[in-house]
Amino acid sequence: MYKCVITRLTQGVVVLLVVSFVCFGIFQFFGDPVLTLAGRYATQAQQKEVRIKMGLDKPFYIQYFVFFKNAIHGDFGLSYVAQTPVLGLILERLPASIELAISAMLIALILGIGLGVIVSLNPRYFLNRFIMAGSLFGISLPTFLIGILLIMIFSVKLRFLPTFGRGEVIKIAGNWRTGFFTINGLRHLILPAFTLGVYQLAVLLRLTRGGMLEVLREDYIRTAWAKGLPPKIVIFKHALRNALIPVVTMAGLQFGELIAFSIVTESIFQWPGAGNLLLTAVYETDHPVIVAYIMITSILILCVNLVVDILYGFINPKIRYE
Amino acid sequence: MKKLTSIIVILLLVLGLIMTTLISGVAAVKDSINVAVAAPPQTMNPHGSDSDCNLSVMGNIFEGLLYRDVTGKLGPGLAISWERVDDLTWRFTLRKGVKFHNGNDFTWEDVKFSLERLKEPFPVSELLDFGGIIKSVETVNGDPWTIDVKTTIPVPYFAQNLHQIFIMDKESTETRSIGEIGQNPIGTGPYKFVEWVKGSYLKLTVNENYWGEVPSIKNAEITPITEPSTRLAAITTGQVDILQDIPTELFETVANNSNIEVITRPGRRAIYLGLRNEPGFPASDIRVRKAIYMAINEDEIIEKIMFGHAFPAAQIPDPPTVGYDSSLKRLSYNLEGAKSLLAEAGYPDGFKIKLTGPNDRYVRDAQICEAIAKQLAKVGIEVELDTKPKAIFFPEVDEHKLDFYLIGWFDGSYDFGRSVIQLLLSVNEEKGWGGLNGANYSDPTLDKLFEESSEIVDPALRAEKLKLLNRTAMEEKIAAIPLHYQEDSYAVYKGRGIEFTPRADTWILFREISIKK
Repeated sequence: MYKCVITRLTQGVVVLLVVSFVCFGIFQFFGDPVLTLAGRYATQAQQKEVRIKMGLDKPFYIQYFVFFKNAIHGDFGLSYVAQTPVLGLILERLPASIELAISAMLIALILGIGLGVIVSLNPRYFLNRFIMAGSLFGISLPTFLIGILLIMIFSVKLRFLPTFGRGEVIKIAGNWRTGFFTINGLRHLILPAFTLGVYQLAVLLRLTRGGMLEVLREDYIRTAWAKGLPPKIVIFKHALRNALIPVVTMAGLQFGELIAFSIVTESIFQWPGAGNLLLTAVYETDHPVIVAYIMITSILILCVNLVVDILYGFINPKIRYE
Repeated sequence: MKKLTSIIVILLLVLGLIMTTLISGVAAVKDSINVAVAAPPQTMNPHGSDSDCNLSVMGNIFEGLLYRDVTGKLGPGLAISWERVDDLTWRFTLRKGVKFHNGNDFTWEDVKFSLERLKEPFPVSELLDFGGIIKSVETVNGDPWTIDVKTTIPVPYFAQNLHQIFIMDKESTETRSIGEIGQNPIGTGPYKFVEWVKGSYLKLTVNENYWGEVPSIKNAEITPITEPSTRLAAITTGQVDILQDIPTELFETVANNSNIEVITRPGRRAIYLGLRNEPGFPASDIRVRKAIYMAINEDEIIEKIMFGHAFPAAQIPDPPTVGYDSSLKRLSYNLEGAKSLLAEAGYPDGFKIKLTGPNDRYVRDAQICEAIAKQLAKVGIEVELDTKPKAIFFPEVDEHKLDFYLIGWFDGSYDFGRSVIQLLLSVNEEKGWGGLNGANYSDPTLDKLFEESSEIVDPALRAEKLKLLNRTAMEEKIAAIPLHYQEDSYAVYKGRGIEFTPRADTWILFREISIKK
């Protein structure tokens, strides 16, 4: 087990190195930040002055080396555009993204697995067929469309929920702002969380249903029924637990993605998360922010994957790493 | 029994959720206002960006030596009077009794510090060119309320630009890190900074100790919303009070909503086409330039591409700009005329040309390029389209290798003399000319006219010279083909009695907005 974790960690470090090199390399060819930085009236001489001051006149490998050296010390430099430390900018935004991702994941897990179990117990019942058909919409409708539809129905027509933003937030510990503890904050959370979670919800629902249908046919389930065990125990303890393995894998992988790729949802709802920051940075050719963002989300995804691997062992003791 | 309790608990939870859902949001607080903008402010360092979206915000927190009113007219700000003493010296009388938000007094040293700070390549950089021309800032005869600013070269537009050069507090700027300054602004303006989450929202509160009239709006929030349909939803529900830039494709929907008042005005930015004139290139012949101009049906572009939300332009500067010539007229659309001019020039069957343009910078920029390609095809000119993101387009402009390109321009200092250096003068690194002259356009007549204009001290005579330069470039030389001015549009949510008049420079200054109810 430990050996496995260590192997995974080393692999992770290698992945991070490659990621940092690749994205640093790509941005060398993606717009010249000096042009925006020096302003529209700058003369060529002044552009050169800025280039030298920013260290952008140096060859690629030296720039990368300097970046790498500082990054190890947790210093991702100053944003070209905001002129504030990049790490601070991202860390300030990450809580919003994580909160959104957690809420979306919760919605997806509870409704997805719950409905999945219900549907699998009586697959031919018309209401259950209806749910399955609905899940197809969840998978095939693009996020931006779902978001816009929800806004149009719940905000514009019914006026139940706010259209954008995060609402009232409370500051806890440093720059960690949370919207979990105010009613206004929760109201702002509902639509974006649902929009972000609906795809995962549909995927988890179908996975759970598939797994359950298969497991329910197994001999040991028949034995359990025959023994006269109460349905609660047969379904949840014996059947669901075994059907859950692919679901957990999927959920784990998706959680990382929810944090890293919630860009579309965040931009529709103007959610002040990290994805939104990334989008702005791309528009503004703010390379330090883009590189640092990709690095930090890579670390996050690696960590989540590691946790998922470890969780396997607990859910199903049959899968243990030797 | 157990089952019953759990059912009740679940019911209660559901009920609670519905209740929280149904309670409508916090009603709009009196004296406070929410504004949605299209582009977010980039930094809280007032010298860190010269883009309008940033200056607009900074104009609430900071003040310049001078101030422009709603119409763009220059007036006193932190300086109560100003004059040009000789061609290199500008004299200002400073306002007494002004305090920064941190309690420090405003003195001439802050002015000196702020103007000299503009020379820093980072974090100032975007105003580097303006910093570069400042030679010294000194008091006159030891009077700390009268100062002389000397420039290295004659700069006729110096005062014109001072409304957007904001004055910072020397003490707090010197003692804080770049990162701190970029996050927590301290100015003298009518609003104080509260909180900023980059790209997301900015909160301001009124400065009760402001030297002038304390504005009636006490709290203001600026939120950038980029997604057009969310912008629409935000204004129709009244979650924002003012929306800047109504998305063109949703304009009708907004205009038809009875809860919303739509305000439009011609924008300052002109969209035009640059065209190479190097010998050997077809458009080096003035007849070809005229033919291209005449083959472009601008009315059709405005109607079909801009949905009527643009105004035809016959020149690059806009009316309030020094050098604007109201007598200039567009060459009228004339296909036959264009064809015969091309035939005369030796291109009866047209020629091939590449049109480059950004696709994410101006309103419907890529679509305009497409329309032009189709229109020019009618006179036999085959246009190869090359539209790309601005991050790739502008470096190409900077290399001056384009043949034919679409670009937009307006000048924050309201001076055509300043624009023409960048746009139309021959590329000359030493003099700093032609930075945005993407097609390496060069004409000695224009260069000479500009040099003559910059030696003139008298503003009226200089304006005449700039007009002549403008007219020569547009009529005689067709140095560029102007298309249209964009439209500035705003949607105001009715029902709160908000009184708002848009400014020429698109800044949103909360001191100029009031709420009746």
